[in-house]
Amino acid sequence: MTRRTRRFVVASLLVLGVGVGTGLLAYLSFPTSAFTGPGGPDELRYLPGNAHMIAFVDVHHVMISELRQRLRATMPFTDGGARRFQDETGVNIETDIDRVVFAVAQSLDGSQTGQDAALAVVRGRFDAVRIEASLREKGASVEWYKGRSIFGAPDRDAATDATSRDRGSELAIAFIEPGLIAAGSPSLVRSAIDRQDGGASARGNDALMKRVRELEPANLWAVGRFDALTARANFQKGAVGPLPAMTWFAASGQVDSGIRASVTAEGRDEEAANALRDLVRGFFALAKLRGSSQPALGSLLRAVQLGGTGQTVTLSIDFSPQMLDALTGSLSQLPRVARPRRGL
Amino acid sequence: MFLGLLVGGPVVLALAVRASVILDIGPPGAPRPGGPVLFGLIVWLLYIRFIVPILGVFYGTSIIADEVEDKTLTYLFVRPIPRASVLMGKYLAYLACTSLLILPSLTLVYLLIVPIRDGSVGGAFPTLLADLGMLVVGLISYGAVFAFVGARFKRPLVAGLVFALGWEPGVLIFPGYLKRFSVGYYLQALVPHAMPSESATSILLRVVRDVPSVAMSLWSLALITAVMLWVASRTVARREYVLEQ
Repeated sequence: MTRRTRRFVVASLLVLGVGVGTGLLAYLSFPTSAFTGPGGPDELRYLPGNAHMIAFVDVHHVMISELRQRLRATMPFTDGGARRFQDETGVNIETDIDRVVFAVAQSLDGSQTGQDAALAVVRGRFDAVRIEASLREKGASVEWYKGRSIFGAPDRDAATDATSRDRGSELAIAFIEPGLIAAGSPSLVRSAIDRQDGGASARGNDALMKRVRELEPANLWAVGRFDALTARANFQKGAVGPLPAMTWFAASGQVDSGIRASVTAEGRDEEAANALRDLVRGFFALAKLRGSSQPALGSLLRAVQLGGTGQTVTLSIDFSPQMLDALTGSLSQLPRVARPRRGL
Repeated sequence: MFLGLLVGGPVVLALAVRASVILDIGPPGAPRPGGPVLFGLIVWLLYIRFIVPILGVFYGTSIIADEVEDKTLTYLFVRPIPRASVLMGKYLAYLACTSLLILPSLTLVYLLIVPIRDGSVGGAFPTLLADLGMLVVGLISYGAVFAFVGARFKRPLVAGLVFALGWEPGVLIFPGYLKRFSVGYYLQALVPHAMPSESATSILLRVVRDVPSVAMSLWSLALITAVMLWVASRTVARREYVLEQ
C-alpha cells in the first residue's frame, strides 16, 4: 500500500467514523431532547395554532417498555387486526411507528362552524407507495393539494353533496414528508401541509406551549383547555353534577417498568380549585369504602395522591412494577361472570 | 478529477444549500422543506439514481476491461491462481475503494443538510445507517453486474452506460414485469422513505403500484450479485482474450 493510498483510507475512515459517531451520540441523547424536551416534539409545528388540546405519545418507547412486555406475557393479546393492517400497509405498529402528536381544534371548514375536528401526525417508517396502493384499492378518493395527494373517504356522495369531503366525520390521510403521515379532518390535513412552509402552529400558541414546557419528561402527555373539552363532553348533564370552573388541564405519563403519571387541572380561581379538590376527595372516600372489601381497588387507591396548591389541583399516580404484578394477579383471580344461556 | 466531481459534488451542493438557508436566499413562497427531507432527496436523486450506478459502470467494467486495454491481463493470468480469483480479488478491491469514497461523502452531506430548519441529527441517524447500508448493497449489486459486462463485452463502458442511464431508469416507469430485470427496482424498495413523493418517477411508481418487500429485494439483489459474479467468473475462466498489438 502506497503512502497516498494509506492517507486516503485513513482520511475516509476518519470522516466516516466522526460522522457516524456524531450521529450516534446525537441519537443516544435524542429521546430526552427531542421527544420529551421542553419544546416538545418537532411534529408540533404541523398542529393548528388554535388547538384546544394537544397530545403526544412516544409509541416506540411505550411498545418496547418493560411493562408492555410483561403485560404481553401475562395477558393473551390477539394481534389479528395488527397483522392484517401490516399485511395491507406494510406498517408494523410495534416497530414502525415512532411517535404520534394529536390535536383537537375548531374545524376550519366554514360549514362546520363551532364543531371540533381532530388531526394526528404520525412519525415512523412507512412504505408510502404500498400504503397509497392499499388506500386506492379500498376506493379512497384522491385530492391533489400543493403537490401532495390527500386520500379521503370513497367518493360515493360526491355527486349529491359537493362539500361532503369536508365533513367533520370524514378522515383524510396524506404523506406530508417522507416518514410523516397526517390523518384527520380534511381541512386540518390541508392546513398541516400549509404549515410545512411555515405559519401559525401549536408551537406559537404560548398558553399551550407554556404548559407543555412545564411537564415532567414523559413518553405520553396531553395538554388542553378544560372548558372546551367539558363543553363538548357535556359533563354538566352527567351524574357528577356541576363541575368547578376549571380552565386548563395537563396530563403526563411515563411508561417503563411501571407507570408514573400526573394530571394537573387549573381552576379559574382558588375557590374553584378548592371545590375540585373537595370533589376528588369525595370520590376517594367513596372508593375507599368499596376498597375495604376489594384488595385490588385498595392497592390502586394507595398509588394515587391528591395535591396541588393555589389554583392547581394535581393527581399523581405511581404504579410500581410490584404493584402492577399484584394487580394483574388479583385480576386474574376474579371469578368469571357466567353468560346467561339463551333459550331453554 | 472525475471522482472528485462525482463524490465531492453532493458535498459542495450540500454546502451551497446550507449557505442559502443561513443567508435566507430563495424565491419568496417557494417550499421550504426540512433538513431530513432534503437529505432524503439528495440520497435518492444523486446517490441512488446517479452516483452508485455510475461508480459501478466505471469501476465495475474496468475490472477486466482495463487489463485488456493496458495489455496487462497476461501478467495476471500467468499467476498460479484460478482466473476467477483474479476477478474476485479485483471485485473486492473495487468494493473497498468505492465504499471508502462514497460513504464519507454521504456522511458529510448528512451532517451538513440534516440540521437545516430544526432537523435533528439524532432523529435522522437511523435513516443515515439505512442509507449507508443501501449504498453498499447498491455498490455490491451494480459492481457484480458491470464486472460481468466488463468481462463479456468488447466495449463495456458503452454497454454499461446504456444499461445504467437508459435501461434502469427507463424500465422503472413502465408498467409490467420489465422492471424486475433492473437493480434499481429492488434497491429503491430498501429505503422507501428516502424516495421523494413529488418526483415524476415516484408518481408513476404509485400508478404502477408495485414495490417489492425489503426481504424480497435483499434476496433478489443477493441472487443478482451471485449469478452475475458466477457468470463473470465463468466468462473470465473460459474466454480467450485477444490483446490487440
